[in-house]
Amino acid sequence: MSAAAKVSPGGTAARLEGVVCEVAGKAAIDIEALRIAQGERIALVGPNGAGKSTLLRLLSGFARPGRGEAVVLGRRLPLAGRELRALRGEIGQVLQGLHLVQRLSALDNVLIGALGRLAGWRTLARCHRAQDIAEAEAALRAVGLLAKADCRVDRLSGGERQKVAVARMLMQRPRLILADEPTAALDPRAAAEVCALLAGAAGGATLVSVVHNPSLLPLLAERVVGLRQGRIAFDLPLAQADDQRLLGLYRRDEVGPADGLAHAPARPRRIAAEMP
Amino acid sequence: MSGAGAMALIGARRHAGRLGFLGLVLAYAVLVAVALATLAVDGDLSLGRNPLANLAKTAGEFARPSFLDVWFGDPQREYRSEDGTLLRVEDRRAVEAGFLRQLGAAAWTTFVIGTLGSLLGAVLALPLGVATARNLGASRFFSLPAKAILDATRSIHTLVFGLVLVGIVGLGPTAGILAIALHSMGTYGKLYAEAIETLDMSAVEAVRAVGAGPAQVFFNGVWPAVLPQFVSAHLYIWEFNIRDSTVLGLIGAGGLGLLITEATALFQWGRLATILLVVVALVSAFDAVSRRIRKALL
Repeated sequence: MSAAAKVSPGGTAARLEGVVCEVAGKAAIDIEALRIAQGERIALVGPNGAGKSTLLRLLSGFARPGRGEAVVLGRRLPLAGRELRALRGEIGQVLQGLHLVQRLSALDNVLIGALGRLAGWRTLARCHRAQDIAEAEAALRAVGLLAKADCRVDRLSGGERQKVAVARMLMQRPRLILADEPTAALDPRAAAEVCALLAGAAGGATLVSVVHNPSLLPLLAERVVGLRQGRIAFDLPLAQADDQRLLGLYRRDEVGPADGLAHAPARPRRIAAEMP
Repeated sequence: MSGAGAMALIGARRHAGRLGFLGLVLAYAVLVAVALATLAVDGDLSLGRNPLANLAKTAGEFARPSFLDVWFGDPQREYRSEDGTLLRVEDRRAVEAGFLRQLGAAAWTTFVIGTLGSLLGAVLALPLGVATARNLGASRFFSLPAKAILDATRSIHTLVFGLVLVGIVGLGPTAGILAIALHSMGTYGKLYAEAIETLDMSAVEAVRAVGAGPAQVFFNGVWPAVLPQFVSAHLYIWEFNIRDSTVLGLIGAGGLGLLITEATALFQWGRLATILLVVVALVSAFDAVSRRIRKALL
């Protein structure tokens, strides 16, 4: 995909060392060492509350590391102001659920992806230049939604909305893509379509995704990192991350009292049901 | 804890909400009783000496609004003194036609005061509403004074603002416009803040996540989502202010209120009926239009 930025091969997209990040006074992640190479495609797996989303929020500068060294795209966290916005401009995100501006058209939502690199009154009045609009249309064409460019996104289906989110991410020309359960509310076909688009969009960019459905893993990742209570339980190539390992993450008897017990049993059943 | 004790605790918890509401209702009943008793003790609960006859008389005059005289009035009504001398002859039709013209101009003045006052209030309240919306995270340095201004202006009645402003800018529509703007600013700010607070924050965060600056986040993530609610609030308060500005004439701001003062002072209930019909027509027409606009926006 042309939208992906040029990549220095072999570089490091993100490096975490001894990073502890607290959410509501509790250690949400505690990672001794994690290195993500530029261009790598990684999936994060683990039960609810394992710290997958916190890890993504840490990488995109929404959560601050309490301790340790975190370097993302060559910038040391935590950042603030202009530096933080510059980092976020290079990180494309596709999240679960509603995160489009409902009352804007699909095209306007895609154009939001360019806000990180565009400035001036045009971005405030949403009067974008022709070349930016053409790029947004190209992004919509890439996800197969050009026909609905002028449709308000609250009139689109769940799958179509997620494709608009992918197009917005393409518009951003990111070096690092973070996808947090991008297929959460989608039916299997739409889920597979969105995953294929994400993988294609990644091109040479780094892709870090949170995945619950093991059948989607091969589409999105060549390396699987299992998280459990904020720590890295395993870090393996896709081929070695078998069902045994994945289900082990969700086993309840090892869950400590600090973990959310209420929703812990729900996950394994869902995973088992989705096993091919 | 024993099983029975636990059950009792759960039972108490389940009924706690209902008992709390019962307590509220009781407190309210006591408040109303005390309020009535206060009036009863001073003997202020009377309806006057002759309520039914007065009601019949007033209603009779109200039932014959003055504008009917434009067509059915006596073209040569004679006014005589007690001994029968003719004082003057009046063409009721011409007089009431003249009053109608006056009424039209006054209605327009009232509409203008309400409209310009609303617009001024809406614009003044915009930064204050944005500053007080809790989810946008403005610093307390801005949000606390903004909230204080909004609360203060909302609690002071338009009429009070008007009385003060007449002393400052003099009699006339300007005082009315400023009075309406100042009072409705408080209401606008509160409605704005509430509209912003019910916003879908995940969408706003997604705009922030592409690296957009604060102004870009506001105009791309917040503004499109809240604009329909802002317009809806504006139409609602605008209508309210048109009604409010009819009263402002009482303190010299001009418009329909001036005619209402005259009509009540001279006990011309027929004319008051005509004026009130115009007020009702004005407000209903505005409501019909604004409802359609609101429907189209949502």
